[in-house]
Amino acid sequence: MKNKYLSVFSNGLIKENPVLRLVLGTCPTLAVTTAAINGIGMGVSATIVLVCSNLVISLLRNIIPDKVRIPAYITIIAGFVSVVQMLVKAFLPAIDKSLGIFLPLIVVNCIILARAEMFASKNAPVLSVLDGLGMGIGFTAVLTLMGAIRELLGAGTLFTLPITAEVIDPMVIFLLPPGGFFVFGMLVAASNAIAKKNGKKPVEHLGCANCPSRGVCGKFSPEEKEEAINE
Amino acid sequence: MNKIIEFFKANKNDIIKPVAVLLAICVIIPLALAVTNKVTKNRIEQLARSNEKETMLELIKAEKFPKYAYSEGNIAFEYNVAKKDDEVLGYIFVTSAKGYGGDVSVMTAVGTDGKVIEIAITDASGETPGLGQNVKKEKFYSQYAGKSDGVTVVKNGAGGKDTVVAVTGATVSSRAVNKAVSQALEYYALVSGDAEGEVVAE
Amino acid sequence: MNSTTTIASIILAGILTNNMVLSKFLGICPFLGVSKKSGTAFSMSIAVTFVMVVATAVTWPIYHYILYPDFTYLDTIVFILVIAAIVQLIEIFLKKFIKPIYNALGIYLPLITTNCAVLGITMLNITNELNFIKSIVNALAAGLGFMLAMLLFAGVRERMETADVPEFLKGLPITLVAAALVSLSFLGFAGIGG
Repeated sequence: MKNKYLSVFSNGLIKENPVLRLVLGTCPTLAVTTAAINGIGMGVSATIVLVCSNLVISLLRNIIPDKVRIPAYITIIAGFVSVVQMLVKAFLPAIDKSLGIFLPLIVVNCIILARAEMFASKNAPVLSVLDGLGMGIGFTAVLTLMGAIRELLGAGTLFTLPITAEVIDPMVIFLLPPGGFFVFGMLVAASNAIAKKNGKKPVEHLGCANCPSRGVCGKFSPEEKEEAINE
Repeated sequence: MNKIIEFFKANKNDIIKPVAVLLAICVIIPLALAVTNKVTKNRIEQLARSNEKETMLELIKAEKFPKYAYSEGNIAFEYNVAKKDDEVLGYIFVTSAKGYGGDVSVMTAVGTDGKVIEIAITDASGETPGLGQNVKKEKFYSQYAGKSDGVTVVKNGAGGKDTVVAVTGATVSSRAVNKAVSQALEYYALVSGDAEGEVVAE
Repeated sequence: MNSTTTIASIILAGILTNNMVLSKFLGICPFLGVSKKSGTAFSMSIAVTFVMVVATAVTWPIYHYILYPDFTYLDTIVFILVIAAIVQLIEIFLKKFIKPIYNALGIYLPLITTNCAVLGITMLNITNELNFIKSIVNALAAGLGFMLAMLLFAGVRERMETADVPEFLKGLPITLVAAALVSLSFLGFAGIGG
């Protein structure tokens, strides 16, 4: 019994890490990771939204009619995002400035809608909270790691403490957009290599197959759907 | 009438329930937001005000900074006058100019002689970290102390009487700061000697 | 920014210097997901551009005439719901009246609701204090910038299919490295029209 809870929680950490294994939430992953602290700020904000929305959606899973579930989920998620946004603005203004528009954009972070649709709408509240927590921590960990790598290489600092800045000239390119794509590419390659060792398949960005709204757009004809997924 | 009731009865699960649930959600959540807004709004405003005050104190050690408003034709702005024992020590302007990825905001303190006392970069969050954001480093902004109107940005070499050296690799951000400072000096020319303008807040 | 930003500089920034995908990281999902063939990349960009312009045309008046100044904290929630509704309406409209366009773009429309590019651009228009006309131009320019990035990247990926990629980079990693190089080339535009 206990194992079930533990496995749901640990699922998001490594096995189904939202960023490296499910390839969700790539926009904030690339955009805000110019410093380790930003990675933490974004990760924690998204985790709070994820846990709260998973909890509420799970509690309401028998009340919300199937037909209107997506607008209902989006409204609930947007509500929590706005609350977090106001709290961050009031108590952590520095984080608010560095995350900028990506703070409200947590609304459209695929991870959150995906967990609502795939997990919280089908599972009990406790499990849904654990799932949200696991996924959130997995997300935060990758963002922090990526922020740390880019900050160290690009500015020679770590959490704004100078590490190599005095010894080696920092490579600013790692803080610029190309550096974001490159570091993310290398992280995915590393995670693929580890997955392969454990006998799992490498990830491939599959377009529709990874999209949380694919269940919603049932407007595809089966062939179109097939084509879009194979695309 | 009966038909309408029948219609609703027949569609109870198809139409009424979804609409009712959505409506309920759309009422409860904005209400929750309104509450949070009420709690945080004052704090956000206070934070902005106290930040502003602190920055002004770093620029000029004055006792108070009453706020004035200037408006003539289509030029309108607000500024603060730094005062100590009713003696005017300088003027403070907040201006901004377009940088690399958004507006760069600068607070400029101008002395009564028309020379810049010091500037502070209040917002450069749209600039590239480690590059454009380096305008926030003292090495760059301290160059403005003592400068008067007509400062230009040079890419390299030493800064002179009318020039400042741009942050390496971030000419756009440096120019934005320069533009904002020039704007502040223009404002100063408009208000100098006219500290009797309309007081907005103490 | 408001009064000093000219229409020309908005267009330049949207397409080249501040390209939505390559320098602002908005709309990465479709950029990586739907860029294998230039045909689909083109259709997706048309759909995104269209929705962005319509969404801006609707959200801008809502923000400035209804939400401002007392209810600005509701912007996120109102914008996302409006965008979701617009996407639905566009879909119904196209299905009913312009069947050929629906057949070409229909499958991309539902994906756009959760595309951060659309919500992002409507919010940036507000935070940058652009007026109505400039907001529309900005949305259009951002859409064209998205299209440019998609088409260039689709071209790169089509060539990459025949390339000999080291084993550990196969799949998503090499796609990201290629994206890094494309975005590096866009860095060269920095400062144009400053």
